[in-house]
Amino acid sequence: MTPFVTMLQFLLPGLGVTVSVTLIALGLGGCIGALMAVFRVYGNPVVKGLAVSYSVVVRAVPVVVIIFILFFVISAFIDLSPFMSGAIALGFASGAYQTEIFRGAILSIPQGQMTAARGIGMSKAKAIRCIILPQAFRVAIPSLINEVTLVLKDSSLVFVIGVPELMRRAQYASASTMEPLLAFGTAACFYIVLTLVLSRLLETVEKRFAVQF
Amino acid sequence: MTEFFAYAAMALPDLLQGTVVTLKLTAGALVIGLVIGLPLSLLRVYGRKLVQPVCTAYLTVFRGTPLLVQLFVVYYGLPEIGVSFSRMAAAFITLGCNSGAYQCEYFRGAIQAVSKGQMTAARGIGMSRFQGIRHIVLPQALRLVIPAWSNELIAMVKYTAIVFLIAVPDLMNKAKILSSQNFAPIQTYVLVALIYLVLVGFLSLVLHGIQRKLAVPGLDAGMEGR
Amino acid sequence: MKDKPMTRPVLRIENLCKSFGATPVVRDVSFDVHPSEVIVIIGSSGTGKSTLLQCLNLLHRPTSGRIFLEDQEITASGMNEDTVRRQMGMVFQEFNLFNHLTVLGNVTVGMTKVLGMPAEDAEKKAMNELERVGMADHRHKYPAQLSGGQKQRVGIARALGMSPKVMLFDEPTSALDPELTGEVLTVMQKLAAEGMTMIIVSHEMGFAREAADRVIFMENGRIEEQGPPDRMFTHPESERTRKFLSIITTGNTDPPIGKAT
Repeated sequence: MTPFVTMLQFLLPGLGVTVSVTLIALGLGGCIGALMAVFRVYGNPVVKGLAVSYSVVVRAVPVVVIIFILFFVISAFIDLSPFMSGAIALGFASGAYQTEIFRGAILSIPQGQMTAARGIGMSKAKAIRCIILPQAFRVAIPSLINEVTLVLKDSSLVFVIGVPELMRRAQYASASTMEPLLAFGTAACFYIVLTLVLSRLLETVEKRFAVQF
Repeated sequence: MTEFFAYAAMALPDLLQGTVVTLKLTAGALVIGLVIGLPLSLLRVYGRKLVQPVCTAYLTVFRGTPLLVQLFVVYYGLPEIGVSFSRMAAAFITLGCNSGAYQCEYFRGAIQAVSKGQMTAARGIGMSRFQGIRHIVLPQALRLVIPAWSNELIAMVKYTAIVFLIAVPDLMNKAKILSSQNFAPIQTYVLVALIYLVLVGFLSLVLHGIQRKLAVPGLDAGMEGR
Repeated sequence: MKDKPMTRPVLRIENLCKSFGATPVVRDVSFDVHPSEVIVIIGSSGTGKSTLLQCLNLLHRPTSGRIFLEDQEITASGMNEDTVRRQMGMVFQEFNLFNHLTVLGNVTVGMTKVLGMPAEDAEKKAMNELERVGMADHRHKYPAQLSGGQKQRVGIARALGMSPKVMLFDEPTSALDPELTGEVLTVMQKLAAEGMTMIIVSHEMGFAREAADRVIFMENGRIEEQGPPDRMFTHPESERTRKFLSIITTGNTDPPIGKAT
């Protein structure tokens, strides 16, 4: 049992990095996703085309490729830590998937909501911001929680640019203790616990929603 | 821009070689995943209570951890207890087992989407449970699963991209070598992204065509594109 | 009752009970079914009629009681349910046609996969049955392309294909629009005239009156009263039967049976 506990303690800082990268990526992806979704639904043809190509292209390319490209592009211009580059790259990738989530949610809001908002004198932008988006956000919550799980798992990919997250720590441990099974197995346990918590959360939210509607 | 095209022309043969490996991995993983996922889904839906915890454990492990962790456990971890695989075998096994867990859930959803009355009617004309599953429920479930299965195929093309981390000579591996040889990471990975884009776009078109072809007349109106 | 020779019963039900958990649904039901007899079971919703019917071919396992199919006790332990079911045709309220098979495929699948008939023979027999229900022209269509009435006629052909000893109809017209019930009832009446043994759970009083040899009125999971339709509909003995019939026949606008095209 002790080697396992020692391993847990050694990996713990990595868990912090994993969670931080995930949260930053989700936040950034959420902003990009919401904006692109609005562009896709309400934008003029140019903006719409931009949003569509972003979402289609990014979703067709492996996340690890996105991470490499953005990492090298960013480091060509500014001096950013692998941690930040990795989080931004993950956010950029997640943004494409969140675009689809938000688009679906916006389209599920009845047309009448927009009409009514315009009817009381709101501008289109204000109606989107104050009436449509808050409702769409609630509809999107289950899919967003699912996206949290996906980004959490994808966050292991920033390993490739040397971010000291769970997998990187596990790799150090594996190399120094010569016990790869223990090291990667323990990392796996961390992920399982996190995803189980998230799926429990998802169940709870879905149940509450089931009552509401 | 011309510089980029010159580089692309130089790099493309190697990258395409890697792409073939990527496609082989995708195909292999999907087949292994099918062999695992379909029986597993039948166990989930029709199996005794006793086997459920085993199914759940399998699904939790493979859906609850990153593919990268699974790959490292299989390739680096298992030799510690005397189970060693070649790089290629480790890649096939990990991707296959992972896909099996996802395919299980897709098949389960499809089986449960076939209405209960179908089984009742099958039993009503004297079919056994097994015959009912085989001749009535599964043929319908397999059609229903096609959209989800298509997504899994596309996803798998992208998921294979991490096996270069155990030095399997796939597209990413070739890219890594080329980029360090030529000090051209951005050009290389943009090129790689383009190859994935073409691959995924082409496969989406083919799968969409198949979906339309296999639709049952009158049913799946949406898929027929009426 | 029409004069029919009192032969050995095809089906004999003795003290049949069925409970779901602690809730009794069918209570101590006994009756015989003779060859070529047409029995219509009536009663208000939720009185166990459909459950009773589904017990007869063991789609529900009876809690207690015995059922004999031509002297063989099918409720006996060790009896193969599948063998029992292939001797009884069942027609469902919701049709339950196999969505992935054509009309022809729906009728042949049982013959080829269950009875092991060669495909050609099965197809020939299936065409005969489809002819009987007037659906031969639609053989290449899929269920989703048919109207409700057409679906149900295929459902009947599918059951007939297995050459059943008894046909069980579970509210065969309840899921149909009123204007589509006629074509199904006509087919059923034709079958009755051809001498098919039939047990029908139905709300179609007109049909019961014209086609049934015996009407069974169920209430609360029990047989309240049974007898030939003429007597049941004109002079019911039980107060409950009278009440039920008066409610259900008031404002009854069933089209005349047997005259539909």
